[in-house]
Amino acid sequence: MSRIGFYFDQTRCTGCYTCVVACKDFYDVEAGRTGYLRVLSIEKGVFPDLFVAYLFSPCWHCEDPPCLKACPAGAITQREKDGIVVVDPGRCLGRDQCPEKCKKACPWDAPQFGPQGDAKMEKCQLCLERWEEGRKPVCVEACPLLALDAGPLEELRKKYGEGQGAVGFKPLWRFRPSVVFKGKKPPAPY
Amino acid sequence: MDTIQAEGPKEEVVVVNTGCCHDCGGRCVLKAHVRNGKVIRLESDTGPEPQIRACLRGRAYRQRLYSPDRLKYPLRRVGERGEGKFERISWDEALDTVAYELKRVKAAYGNAAILFLPGAGNQGLLHGPIMPGMLLQEFGGFTRFWGIPSYEGALFASMATYGTIRTGNSREDLLNSRLIILWGWNPAHTIWDPETNLTLAKAKEKGIRMVAVDPRYTDTAATFADQWIPIRPGTDAAMLAAMAFVIVSEGLEDRDFLNKYAQGFETYRDYLLGKEDGRPKTPEWAEPITRVPAKTIADLARAYATQKPAALIAGWGPARTAIGEQYARSAAVLCALTGNIGIPGGYAAGFMRAYSSREASHLQKKDPTLKIDKSKGIPSSNPVENGAPPRPYSLYKLSGGTNATSARIHQSLIWDAILKGKAGGYPADLKMAYIVASNCLNQYPNANLGAQALKRLEFIVIHEQFLTPTARFADIVLPVNTFLEREDIAPPWLGSPYYIYLNKAVDPLEETKSDLEICRLLAPRLGIQNDFFNLSEEEILRLFASRRKDITDFEAMKRDGVLKIKLPEPIVAFRDQIRDPEHHPFPTLSGKIEIDCDHIKEMNHPRIPSVPKYLSHPEHYDTPLAEKYPLQLLTTHAKTRTHSTLEMVPWLKELEVRGVWINPVDAAPRNIRPGDWVDVFNDRGRIRVPAYVTERIMPGVVNVCQGGWYNPDENGVDRGGCANTLTRSEPSPGGAFPMNSALVQVERAPQEQDG
Repeated sequence: MSRIGFYFDQTRCTGCYTCVVACKDFYDVEAGRTGYLRVLSIEKGVFPDLFVAYLFSPCWHCEDPPCLKACPAGAITQREKDGIVVVDPGRCLGRDQCPEKCKKACPWDAPQFGPQGDAKMEKCQLCLERWEEGRKPVCVEACPLLALDAGPLEELRKKYGEGQGAVGFKPLWRFRPSVVFKGKKPPAPY
Repeated sequence: MDTIQAEGPKEEVVVVNTGCCHDCGGRCVLKAHVRNGKVIRLESDTGPEPQIRACLRGRAYRQRLYSPDRLKYPLRRVGERGEGKFERISWDEALDTVAYELKRVKAAYGNAAILFLPGAGNQGLLHGPIMPGMLLQEFGGFTRFWGIPSYEGALFASMATYGTIRTGNSREDLLNSRLIILWGWNPAHTIWDPETNLTLAKAKEKGIRMVAVDPRYTDTAATFADQWIPIRPGTDAAMLAAMAFVIVSEGLEDRDFLNKYAQGFETYRDYLLGKEDGRPKTPEWAEPITRVPAKTIADLARAYATQKPAALIAGWGPARTAIGEQYARSAAVLCALTGNIGIPGGYAAGFMRAYSSREASHLQKKDPTLKIDKSKGIPSSNPVENGAPPRPYSLYKLSGGTNATSARIHQSLIWDAILKGKAGGYPADLKMAYIVASNCLNQYPNANLGAQALKRLEFIVIHEQFLTPTARFADIVLPVNTFLEREDIAPPWLGSPYYIYLNKAVDPLEETKSDLEICRLLAPRLGIQNDFFNLSEEEILRLFASRRKDITDFEAMKRDGVLKIKLPEPIVAFRDQIRDPEHHPFPTLSGKIEIDCDHIKEMNHPRIPSVPKYLSHPEHYDTPLAEKYPLQLLTTHAKTRTHSTLEMVPWLKELEVRGVWINPVDAAPRNIRPGDWVDVFNDRGRIRVPAYVTERIMPGVVNVCQGGWYNPDENGVDRGGCANTLTRSEPSPGGAFPMNSALVQVERAPQEQDG
């Protein structure tokens, strides 16, 4: 198996949210609902000593996914061939019935539910259908700063290094999230 | 089997190569995925580099295309102007009415009474106001405006100093700089050519130092800058003068460069040293004006003068102030003082256009026998303005980009001109407006005055896609299709060598028509026999393309949706002028960079000094009005809109930073908490918006992104948060728009609305 994951260069991210909109367009996620990826904004300091960073935040497709363990219905599985963590809406108990155990278990809030009580869990699945067409995830192909990449983790590490830190990222590496970062230099303590 | 979200049954999806062409700083590649005649998604450029990737605005366009608020049929007003009550009518009825009114107004008052208000809503070569302008010209002409809010101050300064607007380098040339100063420039939101942000990222990775000068800690500053220098709005010219003072007093100026390529250095030096007014323009002088520490000013001046090549990119925002020309002139002059012009890695500031096929020959020496004396009258293909003498404070002796005719009214004075006419000193009594691709009520200064003025006209027709605040005042609304429903070519914006071919992705929605089709149907009703309007879109586009020598392969451009032009070397403005000044003079009157401008000197106007100066104005922070209205208002660009276009797109709306930016230092004493509803107001109007309490704006300054839709309630409080409800409408004599020169107060509003 060749695990695939994301690369995120936080030093390039201007917080333009093009990836967020591209994802919503691709998956028809209406406005008002959280999409399959979010961009978090981190602001620190007091005028005029400020620090701002943005954090790309999809599903990190952990090697040891806490959501998978938390799911009482076995709706969340990991693909053998590439490690993509997928959800079977047919087995998901739904938002109110469960309730949202996967979302609570994920430190990065990747699982999302629609507004209805019986809404099934949805999340970033690394655009798995696009890989089959030989294309990268829509967010990667959308980013105007080329700050995103996706591919086999070994290749990403070879290309971009072993970076494990980004400002605002909860460093819960014990779940082995599939991501390589180029993190922004954290601010000096204020 | 793995679950696949949001994918229906496999039907054939056709990918149409097209693009995005509203009035932002990019024209970008869009690939429309079409199934059963409907756009199901939009992707962008993944092809060869340099890629022209659309930003969030383009990626969200499907929601604009299929918005339930799109205009679908011609409308006739049945309520009061501005009330928004309309009834559906047929195209025949609508066009007959428009033709009747045009002929009536022409017969009763003459063509000058027809006010044509073309807007920038569509940036293609074909659609938008271009065809209606041609039609009205054939009908005998019209009165129009001069001046563009975005850049008029920068344009005047560029022409006065360099004699041209082509003062920019290819963006990739920034990688040759040792220092880049991002002055009032926020391409993270305004794009400024599609490759700009990526180039800044590469410059940062290369270790090139970047300094941002801006009242806000913008996303550009936060992402790319090593240093942020917050500056009080409207005082940029003071900081630039103080930088020049440091450079001159420490002997850091490039004397050889000045001797060879510039005129007027001595006059400017006298201003800096205080020989005219007894006030040397030291950093200590500038500190209380700009609120930038003197040492910060001096350090930046020394760095800029000694770390050559250095690029000073002078954004247009600080020139959108009451005396904005002075900032833009000061910046260009600083480039000249340090000899950072015409060399790789340098930058000339100015208007900053780098590439344009249209102006490919502009910098070449003109045949003197072809020169006409414009002092007696300026030729125009618009009969109403043909032969009108030059405007007194115009740079009419220069060619290109000078807006010289006196027959036009400055855009920010259009409302006043409608209200006062010839009696107010304007060139015409205006009786009807023909508005195309323009949300002028929203985007010209002083919206409340605009609403008054639009009520006074006898007739208003508008070509629109949505019922904008302006369209609500029209008598006839003609529904227009979007760029995904017709063919067009989008030329690049300022700096990049490429064209986008916008192939039609889907059929026009409902009864919408293109601006060309409207002209085609209107022409015979006006008695105009011109076969041109009967040509197909592609025929006209082929004709336009044949006049541009850089469009070498029309078929390939149409097939690929984009034509990327390879330049033999990156553009460096004035490379020839510096290499070989004898054969390549600057296109100014003197043939040199005019630090002291001859043309301006002839104007003899105290508000346009012939060397750039820091000047105050009646609504500056240091005027008596500031006691009543102590906060300076910025009206910057939102990343979620293109001016007022895209306001109704839910995917963008939910990402918008809503409301007025205000520093906690200003919010606390006003009892304002984050998200509270607040009123921002002055004598011109009042808007009600949420408070965005943030450290990212300097104390004493507030910001409302322009483009929110003007929506006054029964008490006249604008609930749409239109920035221009608050802006000044007095232009600078050189034409700069005072969009960033309003004083306001902010107070907590009743919290009745859902925040």
